[in-house]
Parts: sequence; structure tokens; C-alpha cells
Amino acid sequence: MPTTANARGPGSRLYAGFGISGPVTPLLLAAALGVPWLPGEFWTHVGTEVLIFGLFAMSFNLLYGYMGQISFGHAAFFGVGAYATAMLFTALKGADGQIGVAQFLLSLLVGPPVAALAALVIGFFCVRLTGIYFAILSLAFGELLFYIVFSWYSFTKGDDGIQGLLPPPFFQDSTNFYFFTLAIVAAAAAVMWRITESPFGYALRTLRDNQRRAGFLGTNVRAHMLANFVIAGTFAGVAGALWGPFSRSVSPGLLGWGESGIAVFMTLIGGAGSFVGPMLGSVIYTMLQAVVKMYTVYWPLTIGTIILLIVLFAPGGILGTIDKRIQAMRARKP
Amino acid sequence: MPEISLAALAAQLFTGLVLGMIFVLLAIGLSLIFGVMNILNFAHATLWLVSGYVTFSIFTFLSQQFGASPWLLVPAIAGAVALMSAFGYALERLLIRHTYDRELPEQLLLTFALVLILGDAIKLIWGLENRRINLGVRPVEMLDTLVNPYQFVIIGTGFAVAAGLWYFLHRTRFGKIVRAAVYSRSMVSALGIRIPMIYAMVFALGVGLAALAGGVFLPLLPMALGVDLDIIVQCFAVVVIGGFGSMLGTFVASIIVGIVYSFSILFWPDGALAMIFLIVIAVLIVRPWGLFGTELRS
Repeated sequence: MPTTANARGPGSRLYAGFGISGPVTPLLLAAALGVPWLPGEFWTHVGTEVLIFGLFAMSFNLLYGYMGQISFGHAAFFGVGAYATAMLFTALKGADGQIGVAQFLLSLLVGPPVAALAALVIGFFCVRLTGIYFAILSLAFGELLFYIVFSWYSFTKGDDGIQGLLPPPFFQDSTNFYFFTLAIVAAAAAVMWRITESPFGYALRTLRDNQRRAGFLGTNVRAHMLANFVIAGTFAGVAGALWGPFSRSVSPGLLGWGESGIAVFMTLIGGAGSFVGPMLGSVIYTMLQAVVKMYTVYWPLTIGTIILLIVLFAPGGILGTIDKRIQAMRARKP
Repeated sequence: MPEISLAALAAQLFTGLVLGMIFVLLAIGLSLIFGVMNILNFAHATLWLVSGYVTFSIFTFLSQQFGASPWLLVPAIAGAVALMSAFGYALERLLIRHTYDRELPEQLLLTFALVLILGDAIKLIWGLENRRINLGVRPVEMLDTLVNPYQFVIIGTGFAVAAGLWYFLHRTRFGKIVRAAVYSRSMVSALGIRIPMIYAMVFALGVGLAALAGGVFLPLLPMALGVDLDIIVQCFAVVVIGGFGSMLGTFVASIIVGIVYSFSILFWPDGALAMIFLIVIAVLIVRPWGLFGTELRS
């Protein structure tokens, strides 16, 4: 979980101030800025996917890392955001399949609020429960939304999905779209960081560690959890909104529990205890997937084995394990 | 709405009962594992799927050796149950026991990883083709509809297993220990009973039941990659509706879900699966501990 700064110990002040996220964030940002200079369009494409899923996983970690509840239905908000954007996109685009820049941006803007609304309704019920019940209720709501999108053919086109989400010419260039995504994701991450470091964010950590005590201290537990649930859903909606124009299509699978599982995987690989952990998890997961899929169809086997090893041998994820080492080193030195 | 005869309703009820049996066999194991070990086993339906393929392979092998006969399904199922129970035992000893003192998400992740690994293992060993067995049983006419008599075998198996489990849990020493472990692990442990062995046995038993389900349903339900992902969330639904750790609740909920599902298909085909999750949501909101569960472990 987020580390408390140890001012006495050696090491960079960046680490002392921001925990392990301090030194890792500039590295990730530098790497992100360098991606388009890699040879070939392929890595720019993968980079965009890393960013979108990284944002999705970071929004999931608001629930898991900061609030201590695991949601297996978080993809519902990613999917709802993606569908809201895709539907408005389809309505606004011309008969020739082209869409203006203003209309394109407008359709992106509609995803997050619709996802927030869905999160408000679902969260209202979910925050009444904790632990395994929270996990299953969120799973049930996610599956419910999945089946609604899957079956309601006249409204959502069912399992055909929605195709032909071709952004305006400027955004069709993969480098331009990459930087556009990077800007949005960076801005979203900055807002999330601000939220997690606010008194509200610390109230969430308190009720994560001891819900009853947080209640006694005067924290309105359910209201805080619901607010956080809506915030997490909104940012998942931002990621979802970007997904449609990026992949040029949306499908009901985006709402399914397998998709929710991806956010959980990324978070656990990178480390739930640090703010940028899920983004690092997305870097590893998405790039590994891109490489492994070039050679074999057995991607699930690969990622399953990795998850197994991480759960057994590196429970805090990559950043959590490194962080623990640094803490131990600092404790040894006077 | 189309005119629906009484016979059609009866047929639908019967289909629902048959469908409910798959949940009886799967969800009781899931519920037992959760009740005793506090582990939510995402891989339960995947182990069921593996068992189906194993049963198929044994059945095919026996058919080649002794000539085709529907009765060969019995030794094939017995073999698969034995193999899969042993596999379940090994799985608990080698992997799952390392997560008992971990947090819930990590336990979920471990079994989730098993779903992915076993799913691909099936692809590696048996390929992409669906597998099913054709027993060549003639349908019989009942109440103006044709009924596959094999469905009676399934219903019989479901009830027999439920009764057997009840006897095991209430009338045998080991069963009583298992039930005691559901209530208080530390107390059972304090009485000098080796909890780790109980865990491994219960996990093996749950996987064995899943293997039985895999084999019994093989003539009706083709084994196909990815089916496990749908079945497992429906099993979770059943366990939640019945109440975590409650065998009776799971049994009743299985039949309810089976019948609701088969009637939804008749009246509102698109919403059949959504219907089940609506029930789950309603139950979790009103009675999070389920129809028959106690508030003990919330």
C-alpha cells in the first residue's frame, strides 16, 4: 500500500516525497514520449493501447488499492463509456463515414459522464457490501450490463458491435492519435493523483484499513465509497471513450468479466500499492501480449503462468517488491 | 405471446430441472470449498470442462478396446472422477494452500490464473474441436413431447449426489468434521484435527463432483472451449442465491436457477441470462447472505 516517506533514510528526495511512484513516473513519462520514435507504426499502436488500458487499470486501482475493494465488474464502465461514445459518433458522422473534429471531440466527451451515471446507480448498491460480496455484486452488475448490450440488438447492435468509428483525418495518423491519447491519459492521471492525495483520498485509505474505525471517526463511509466508485467509473469511461476511435469498433466483450480481469491483472503485476503501479502493469501486460501473440496463440497460458508466479513469489507486484527492498535497505542503514 | 400448452410448460419444467442438476453438481462443490476453505474457486468450471474432455478420451479409448456401448460411460466417468480428484488434491497441496493467509484478491487471482492455464492446456491437448458423446438412446414420447430418457439419468444422479452428500456431511465422522470446519476452523484445529488434510480432501471432493458433472453431461452438452467462463459466473450466481457455505441453499438455488432459466428462454429468450443476474442482484441487496445462509460470515 502507499508507502510512508522515510525522510531520514538515504536515497533521492523524489522517493522520499512520492514513494516508489516518484522515481518511476518520470521514467514512464520519458519512455512514453519516446515511443513514436521507435521504428514502425506497430509500437506506436501498442503504446496507445498501453495508455488506454493503463488508465483503465489505474481507475480500477482507486477501488482496489485505495479503497480495499475488488471489483470484477469494472469493465462495465469502460464498456459503457465506449458504447456511449461509439453511438454518438455513429449518429454524428456523415453519410460518407467522415466525422468533423468538433463532432469527434463531442462524442469523446459523452463517454465519461454516461459511465459516471452507470457507476452512480451500480455503486449505490455495491458500496453497501464489502469483500467477497462486493466482488460478486459488481460481477453480477457487470454481467447484467454485458447481457443487456449483447441482447438488445435494436439499440446496441448486439454481438455485431459497432464498426466504422474512423476518427477525423488528423487523428487517423497513429502518432497524432498517440500523443492525443497521451495528453488525455496524463491529464486524467494528474487529476487522479490530486484526488488520492487529498483529504478525501486519505479518508479512503482509512476506511480501507478499518472501516468501522473510520465510521467512528465521523467519516461517512458509504458516501466516500460511493463517491470513489463514481470517480473510478468516470475514469474507466474516459479510457473506454478513447478505445472506440482507437480500435475503430466496439463490441459487447468490452463489458465482460474477462475484460475486468485484465484491469485486475495489470494492477497486480505492477503493484496495487503505488499510484503508477497499474500503468507499469499495463506496459508489461500489453507489450508482452503484443510480442507473445506474434509467436504463439497460447497467450492465456503465458499470462496465467506469470500471474501464478507473481501471486506466489511477488505478492506486492513488481513495484511493491522493489519498494519493500528499498524500505528494508533504508531500515538497515542508520 | 404464443399459445403455450400445459404439456409444453411441463416439458420446460423438466428441462429446467435437468439444467438445474449441472448447477447442483458444480455449485455444491464450489459452495463446499468456499464454506470450508474460504476460497472462491474461479477454476471450478474449468476443472469441470477438463473432466469432460478426460471422460471423452477414456470413453473413446474404451470404445476402441471393447466396442461401442453406452454403458462404457460408467467406467469412463469413474476413471475421470478418480483422476480429477487426485488432480484436485495435488492442486490444493501444491498451489492453493499457499494463499490461505493472503488477501482475497490474491486468492481470486490464483484461481483465475488456473482458468487461463487449464483453458489453454485443453487447447494444447484436445485441440479446438468440440467434444460430445452420442449414446444413441432413442427419445421416448411423454405427454405429447419427445423426451430423451438419458435426462432421467441426470436428474437421478443429481438427487443421488445431493442425498449422498447430505448423508456424508451429517452422518459420517469425516463429514461432521467438515461441517464443523465451516463454522470454526480454529476450534476444529484446536481439537487436534489436521485442518490441512481436511482442506485437501474437501478440494478433491469438490473437483471430483465437478468431474462427475463433466462426465454425466457429456452426452447432452458438448464440451467446448470457453463454456467454462459462462458456467462459472452462473455457478457463482447459484451459490450467492442459496447462501455461501449452505449446501441446502445451493441445492434449492440450483433448481430455481435452472427452472427460471428454462422458462425465461420460453418467454423472453434474449433476457434469459440477464434474468439470473437480476435475481442475484436482488438477493445480494436484500439478503447478502442468501436464501439459506446465515449472517455468520458477512
